[in-house]
Parts: sequence; structure tokens; C-alpha cells
Amino acid sequence: MVARSPIRARGPVGREHGWEVSTTARKGGLELCDLTPYSKVLVRAGVLSKAAEVLGCALGLARRAPDGTLVAGTGPGEWLLVSGAGTWPALADEIGGGDPTALTTVVDVTHGGFLIRLSGADSRRVLEKICAIDLSDGVTPDGAVFRSSVARIVCDVIRDDDGGVRSYLLHGDRSAGQYLFDAVLDAGSEFSIGISGYREKEA
Amino acid sequence: MISSRRRPTAMISRLGRQEGELIDRSRRLSFTFNGVEHRGFDGDTIVSALMAEGERIFSRSFKYHRPRSVLSATFHDPGCIVQVGDEPNVRAAHRRLRDGMAVEAQTGWPSLRYDVGAANQLVGRFIGAGFYYKTFIKPQRLWPTYEKVLQRFAAGGRVQASSPHGTYDKRYAHPDVLVAGGGPAGMAAALGAADAGANVILVEEEYELGGHLRFGGSEDLVALRELRDEVGAHAGIEVMTNSVVTGRYDDNWVAVLQRELPQVAERLVKARAKTLVVASGLIERPYVFEGNDLPGVMLSTAARRLVNLYAVKPGQQAVVFAANESGQAAAADLDRVGVEVLKVVDPASGGELVRALGRGQLEQVELGDGSIVDCDLLVTAVGWTAPTLLVNMAGDRPRYDERAARFVPGGALPDTVLATGGIVGDGPLQALVAHGRATGTAAAHRALGRADSIDIPELEPAPHPALFRARTHGIVDYSEDVYSKDLVAAAREGYDSVELLKRYTTATMGPSQGKLETINTVAVLAEATGRSIEETGTTVWRPPYAPISLGALAGRILEPVRYSPMQPWHDSHGAKPIVAGQWIRPEHYGDAAAEVRNVRENVGIIDVSPLGKLDLRGPDVSKLLNFVYVNKWSKLDVGSVRYGVMCGEDGVVIDDGVTGRLAADHYFMSTTSSGAQAVHEWVENWLQTSFPSWQVHVTSMVSAYASINIAGPRSRELLGRLVPDVDLSPESFSYMQVRTGTIAGVPGCHMWRIGFTGELSFEIHVPAGYGLYVWERLMSDGKDLGVGPFGLEAQRVMRLEKGHFIVGQDTDGVTQALSAGLDWLVKLDKEDFAGKPELVWQHERGDGMRLVGLQPSDTHLVPAEASQIVSPSGAIEGRITSSRFSPTIGRSICLGLVSARLAVAGTVVTVKLPDGRHVPATVMEHHAHFDPEGSRLRG
Repeated sequence: MVARSPIRARGPVGREHGWEVSTTARKGGLELCDLTPYSKVLVRAGVLSKAAEVLGCALGLARRAPDGTLVAGTGPGEWLLVSGAGTWPALADEIGGGDPTALTTVVDVTHGGFLIRLSGADSRRVLEKICAIDLSDGVTPDGAVFRSSVARIVCDVIRDDDGGVRSYLLHGDRSAGQYLFDAVLDAGSEFSIGISGYREKEA
Repeated sequence: MISSRRRPTAMISRLGRQEGELIDRSRRLSFTFNGVEHRGFDGDTIVSALMAEGERIFSRSFKYHRPRSVLSATFHDPGCIVQVGDEPNVRAAHRRLRDGMAVEAQTGWPSLRYDVGAANQLVGRFIGAGFYYKTFIKPQRLWPTYEKVLQRFAAGGRVQASSPHGTYDKRYAHPDVLVAGGGPAGMAAALGAADAGANVILVEEEYELGGHLRFGGSEDLVALRELRDEVGAHAGIEVMTNSVVTGRYDDNWVAVLQRELPQVAERLVKARAKTLVVASGLIERPYVFEGNDLPGVMLSTAARRLVNLYAVKPGQQAVVFAANESGQAAAADLDRVGVEVLKVVDPASGGELVRALGRGQLEQVELGDGSIVDCDLLVTAVGWTAPTLLVNMAGDRPRYDERAARFVPGGALPDTVLATGGIVGDGPLQALVAHGRATGTAAAHRALGRADSIDIPELEPAPHPALFRARTHGIVDYSEDVYSKDLVAAAREGYDSVELLKRYTTATMGPSQGKLETINTVAVLAEATGRSIEETGTTVWRPPYAPISLGALAGRILEPVRYSPMQPWHDSHGAKPIVAGQWIRPEHYGDAAAEVRNVRENVGIIDVSPLGKLDLRGPDVSKLLNFVYVNKWSKLDVGSVRYGVMCGEDGVVIDDGVTGRLAADHYFMSTTSSGAQAVHEWVENWLQTSFPSWQVHVTSMVSAYASINIAGPRSRELLGRLVPDVDLSPESFSYMQVRTGTIAGVPGCHMWRIGFTGELSFEIHVPAGYGLYVWERLMSDGKDLGVGPFGLEAQRVMRLEKGHFIVGQDTDGVTQALSAGLDWLVKLDKEDFAGKPELVWQHERGDGMRLVGLQPSDTHLVPAEASQIVSPSGAIEGRITSSRFSPTIGRSICLGLVSARLAVAGTVVTVKLPDGRHVPATVMEHHAHFDPEGSRLRG
């Protein structure tokens, strides 16, 4: 039994938590990485609910929970929780118990979306070619979250710098994963973008 | 590799090394012009390289086919537009030379030098301004001929359909400050803004920063290096050279066109600048006199560019008509490089230029004192035009400064737009730089929301004599071949408004778009009407400032496509793809009819992943379902599935699908593939606007599940081999039920017993990552059962055999639910639902079209879809909505919308085929042509 990302694995291929993944080594610099196997959980709750308090993250912002789960406020009363492949975010259990005052739902969308990471000093310049949002530090600093059209695909974009290097997570509908991956590669070609294999930073 | 004739011996005009030259003499380049081989240097423009090799004529004029050469030696030079390879309309006085370029003149037949079109000059009096408004009108039947003749004379290069697509790009930018113009004031403005903490984009039309400093003297070059170095070292400034700001729109949306990037032909930058600094400098304007378009007549800045930037000697013997310092500097430059400057004519001292004389090129100049000077170069320096285009677009109206004899910004700029440099005023370099720096700092403060004000020093336009036209008439618009006498004639005809004059004569409407012509047009009109230039006013400049290719406007081609998790399998098994919205789907795998037979006899599987899928949770889901569907949902048991149809508020069918109840407060809705997004928006719209108190969360799961329909008499047997934890027997898992279980080891799969094809079938929804794995398992584990894939075409045939309609195919934008034959489903006794009032009304009227099953009398005739159903009198009574040949029952079958009165079983209707034939078809009792009782799918 093997799970596959919508993005064709390039280079040497291995298995991680039942997913087929590329094991291409990191090349450094500007790079694109398919992280689709990561667990992705969508939480819907009132903005003043207990769940919102536990998640501790307003619309448009992201934070890391103690277990490494990335919590991103992707919409009004909507959060995306991202954790390592094969894991279930502890926060989801914490809020999943129900809130008698407001409807709270937790939906596993791991298989519903692609997740790719664009990293490197030129990542902003790549993204600027396919996304109209102001990517300056003043408007979208590290930890900023927004939903926008990226290469004409609706994406949740999370600025999630990696060790001081500018980095963006792009999450969108799985069916468009290969298209978007190719579109980002194409936009990044003038900056010598490369593909790196799967890695488990969030795990 | 160049295959061409060698150029004949010509006078070589390349000078020795110049201090500010841009050419790299160590890099020789070869190219051809009209098939003749030439050589130049890296850094040359096409025109500078040609001039260095002695060429002087680069085009023929638009109407009179007069020979044209360099006028301004800039991008906007009207006489230097050529074809390069398959690229038309290349600005040859700007475009850098590349090795192997094949350059051709765009005008001139049979050759550039000997152009028969020049005969137009003999009939010039008949083809003056506005002649095309007065001619070619009668007889009207000859217009196609006129049109061909006019097209023959139209200027412009050739676009070749076979040309490969270039790569064009787009980019978004959000600078604090965008500076348009990279001359000294522009560079200083960028530095001032960046030093104040702003991030800055500095845009320059030329290939390098510097403006007029580039072709200045030693002091200018030193200052240029200092400014350039400072700009280059500043991390806060992004420099875009060979780029142009083509327009400024609301809220400082500024369009920047970047040209000739390493991997991209052109890129359109959509910049949202907090403040815009316009530093577009000044454009030298031509002088109007007889013969002013002869090759050899050029502006002072053109001569200086050729000499100082490209080391090209523009002539041997020169006359300079100098009304300002630029003319004097040109005379000095020419003298320095060995051009014999025969005369410097200073209008301030009473000097007058009357006309230029020559056949095909300049040979003599006649001066006001009656003297005739033999020469091959006439340089004019009579004043400047401030390109106020960007400030115009920001709402400012330019005003005429009589003292400076030019239009300047009117002073009505918004806070987010500032101007600096020559467009504002004149002064020594230090004054321009000081003004630029202060303006840049002020722009940054405004962008960053700082309250402190910045003192910007005064920069006033310097006095300049008002020289527009000599006592003779000459060309005003070089692009359109408009003479000053044409403008005078037009004014006499009543076109005394500058805007009307422009349109009547086409002055300022050519490729230069008024940059060289506007002020002279206004001045000639003012003179002709006896008004002042201020009273006459100027035309309004509109975007774009410079031409933009359609490729750049289109930008990067972004056409999203969506793939199912099983696409790799389809690709490797001969699926013929079909584009369905953004999805790529298998239409068939070679033989759709065979696929139908296999499903009817054995078992087939189809990839239905694009189906809309919504996860609905909350205690009020049943209320939502009751509202958006026309039927009732209050009593759907857990584990059950129900079919539903959605209507708009006009009662028109907008979607259909099934919804299953997975748990007490958890439902799973499927929609049509094409309606997935719209239905999601539809239900969210109702929840957010009309029922915000309902406790329902809707999550789209279209791509979360790979969806496979397993259909055929052996489908239960096949699925049973892979499902260990769900009893698939008809007794425990009957038609219209849903179960959740494990398939091929994959947990959390939903299984529905529904049947679009009319067969016993199971629609399974598998976590998408495992879709391909499960598909492959179905194929391998079902080999002995005869399993095969089937595509959309086979599915369409089988659903038609079964009489299942497709929303959007068998319905249209006005098909209400009762017309679609859904009387059995619509529950008008429900309290409310979307579309109910309209459906109640339709029910009361009893009219409208009705969807019916139809069978042509000729069993092998398949009427084309959309064929009309007509009455004996020819009136339209309906149409065929779906038609196929059924491999199962061996005859043609249809669904059609017909008038209600015809929707009676047994009625024979007349179908009008696209070829005009009328054929009979019978209305059937059911929509279904096969197994109307449904015994197979309920099996």
C-alpha cells in the first residue's frame, strides 16, 4: 500500500510513512520541495470560541505549537494545522472534544491538498511573478498567512522562514498540485531554482 | 551564420575611442541589413552600427515614401523602425545589435533606395491631411478594392504566423517609491528615497542609467559614475534598465515594461507604488522647415549620442542651428571629432534657417541671409518638450510656460505623485541632483507615512526662445507624414480645436505618439488661428507611453489544469484525454462501445474523481439540505443516500447529486463535476447571508478523495475481494446506501451503492493519495472477472441508455425542475426551498418544455445533439439534448426537450437534422431506454 503525492517524485524515490517521496538531496539556495505527505488538518470554529483560544492564532498569522505543529489562521474561524507525515496534531485532539457553545469541526485534509515549500533568498522574487500580494517584510513578515491566487490557483500561503532563510509554504487543492509545482519551477527558472527531496522539518 | 552579399564599399564613419562610448571594440558582431552583410560592435544600436558603416537611409516615410534617417537617435526615432528577423517594428536607434541579426527595412519597394512609392510626392496635393475622409467613398462597391490598395500602403513590418512563441513574463511589485526616469535627477531621487528607508524601483528607458550625462563631457561622466556607483551599491534600490513606465493608473498602479531580459522577451511589471516620482527628463523637439526630414538633418542630442556613445561620425561638413547650450555642445563635439562645422547659426543673434535642400539626402542649407551652404549634416537645437504623460495620468493638466517655450506640469498632482528633473525645470547638474534628492526623500516620507515635511528646492524652467517653425513649411509629424501646411489647411477647414485637428490630420498619432510632434502641432495651429499656444492648449497624453507587445500584455501563460490521482495510469494505458473544465479526463481507452459492453456484461471501473464532494457537519445540516434541494431530507437515516436536485431562485435546475448521511451530524454530498465549485459557493452563500445561525460547516473535499465507480454485474464480486470489513451483500448494503470501511488496506473509504450507468455499481471514495494504488489493485484483482476501464464516453452512453439526464446538457439556463421531468422529486409541500415560488408557479401553469426519451424511427440514425424538433409548419417545438447509438439495445437513442403538448408517450415528432432532412422519432414512456424498472442497478 503506497500513498502518492499529486506531484511526480523526481530523482531517487523512497518511502516515508507510507508515502512515495523524492529523496533528492538538498542543493541549497533557491529550492522547491514537495511536502504533501505532511498531515494537514482543517479546524473550523468561532473566532471567540474555546478552540480559537487554544489555537492561539488570529486570521493571517501562523505560529508553532510546542509539538512543532504549524498553526495557521487561514480564514475567518478557520485554521490549518500542519504536522509531520503520519502524525496527528495534538492540538486537534485538544480542541476536538467539542465546545457546547459553538460548533467546532476538525477535518483531516491531508489527502485533499498539496503542500510545497519554496525556500531561498530569491523566493520572494519567484512568488512575485505569480502572486499579486505585497510580499515585503512590512506587509507579510515571517509568520504571515494569506489566501490568494497563485498562478491562478487558490492557495494558502504561509511565510515560514527556515533558519533565517525566507521560505513560503503553499497549500492548495491537490488536483492542481503538479500544475502549481511546475508553475513555480517555471517562474523560478531565471533564479536557478532547484528541487529538493522530501524532508521532515515540521515533524 | 550569415549568408548574404558583402556590403559595397561605403564611407566608414567609425571614430576613434570616445570617453563615454558604450561599444566594446573587442567584440565584433556581424549582421545583415536588407541582405547585405555589415559589422558592428557589442554595445552598438542597429542604427549606430549601420551609420558607422556608411548607411544613412533606414526607412521610407508613411505616405510620401521620403527617405528617412536618424532624427533623435532614441527609441522614439520615427525614421529608424525596422524588421529584425520575424520581429516587426523594432526601434533600431535603441535596440542593441546582436550577432547574426537579419535586419530589413519595413518600407520601400522594390528597394529602400529606389522606392516607387515615392511617386506619391508627385500627387501630394491630392493626398493631404484628411484625404481618406473625403475619398474612397463612392462607389461603395469598390471598397474592397480600395481596402486592398490602402493595406498595401500601410506601414509596419510582417508578422509571421510561423514565428515561435517568445517567452513573456509578468511580475507584481509593491515598492514604496517608484522613480520613472534614470537621469541625474531620477538617480538622485532614488537615492534620496532609499536613504530615507524606502524600497525603491528605478526605471530607465535606456540600457544604462544616466540620461543626458551619458553623452556629456568629462565632468558629466565623472558625475555619472559617482551617481551610478551610489545607486548600484544601495540595497534599497532595484534598477530596471531598458524598461519603461508605460502608464500610471488609479492608486499609483504603475505599469513597467522590461525588455530583453535574459530568458524573457518582455516582462510587464505591475507595480503598486506608494509614491511615484516622475523624472522623465526632456525630449528635444525638431524644428519645422522645408526639407527638415532629409537624411542628414538631426537633433543636437542625436548628433551627440552618435558621437559620444557610439563613436560614429554623423557627417563630414555640418551646419548647426543652435538656440541653446545643447546646440553649442553638439557643435563642439562635432568639431572635436573632425566634422567640419561650417556654420553655427544662432537665432539669438538673428540667424535664420530657411530650408534644407537635397535629392534623397541633405546637400545644402539655405539660411536667412540668402546664403547657401553645402553640407551633409544639419543639426538643430531649438528647444524641448517635457513628456508630461505620467503626470497627466495622475490628473494634472500641463500648462504652457511662455518664457521657457514648453509645456510644464500644471501643479495639480496628488500627494502620491511628485516630479523632478527636466520635466519640472532647468539648472546645472548640482541643482537637478539636489532637487531629485529632496523629491525622493519627500516621496519616501509620504510613502512611509512620516509627518515631517521636506524642503524641496526651487527648480524653474529656464527662458528659451520660442522657435517652432521657420518661414517655410516642413514636416511636423515624421511618423504620419503630416506637414505644417496640412495643419494650416485643416485649421482653415474648421478644425481649430487641437483634439479635432489631431484626429483629422493624424498628427501626433503615429509611433512617436506626440513626443516629438505635439508642441509643434500646437504652435502651428496657434499660428494658423491667431491664438496663443496657451489658448490653443495641448492634447491629452494617454497610456501607453511606449508600445507594449501583445505578448507582454498576456504575460506568462497560466492555464491551470487539474489531474486525478489516477492520471499516471490513464496516461500509460492509452486513454484519450478530454478537457473538462480545468480537469483532464479519459474520454475512452480506444473503443467506447466495447467499454459499454464490458460494463453491461462484466465489470468496468471509471475515474470520477472530479465529482464535487462536500463534507457537511453540524446539527443543522438537514435544514440546509432541505433548503438547497427540491426534495425532503429530514428523515434520511444514517447509512442512507438520497438523490437531490438543486434549483436557483428562478426554479432552474443548477445541479444534482447524491448526499449520504455518515453519522448523526455528518453528511457527505456529491455534486456534478462541473458544478463542484459553484455548489460550494451556493451553499456557503445561503449559510452566510440567510442562515448565519445554522450550525453547519462545509468543507470541499473534491480532491481529498479519489473517486472510482465500479459498475457491472460483477462489481460486487470485485469490490468484495478488496473490502474485508463491510458486508456488501444486497441484504445488508442495498441500493442507495453508504458505508465506510477499508479497501485494499486503505481505511476511511466511503462506498456508495448508486448507479449512474444503470448497472449494479459501487462508487468508492478513497483518500486521494491512495487512489492510484486502489485503482491498480482493482485492475489486477479483477482480471479474471474481466474488469476494464471505461471513460466518459462510455459513461455518457450508459447513462443515456438508463435515461439519466446531465445538468447543462439535457437542461439549459431556463430549464426549470418540472421541465426536466422532476415532478416526482419536487416537493412543493415543503415549507420553503430555493426556487419554490417559481416552481409553484410553473406547476400551476403546467406549461414549458418537457424532457422526454426519444427513439428515431431509423434505428441507425443518430440525430446530432441540438437538432431541432419542428412542427409541420416548421415552428420549433424542441430539440435533441443527447443522442448516441446504444451498443446495448442496438439502436439510436435520445433525450430531448419538447413542448409540453408533445410530451406524451407514443407521439411522433419531427426532428430536423443539420443537413435539412426531417426524420421522425417517437416519444417514449420513460426517459430510460434500457432497464426502466431498474432491476439491474438494484441487484
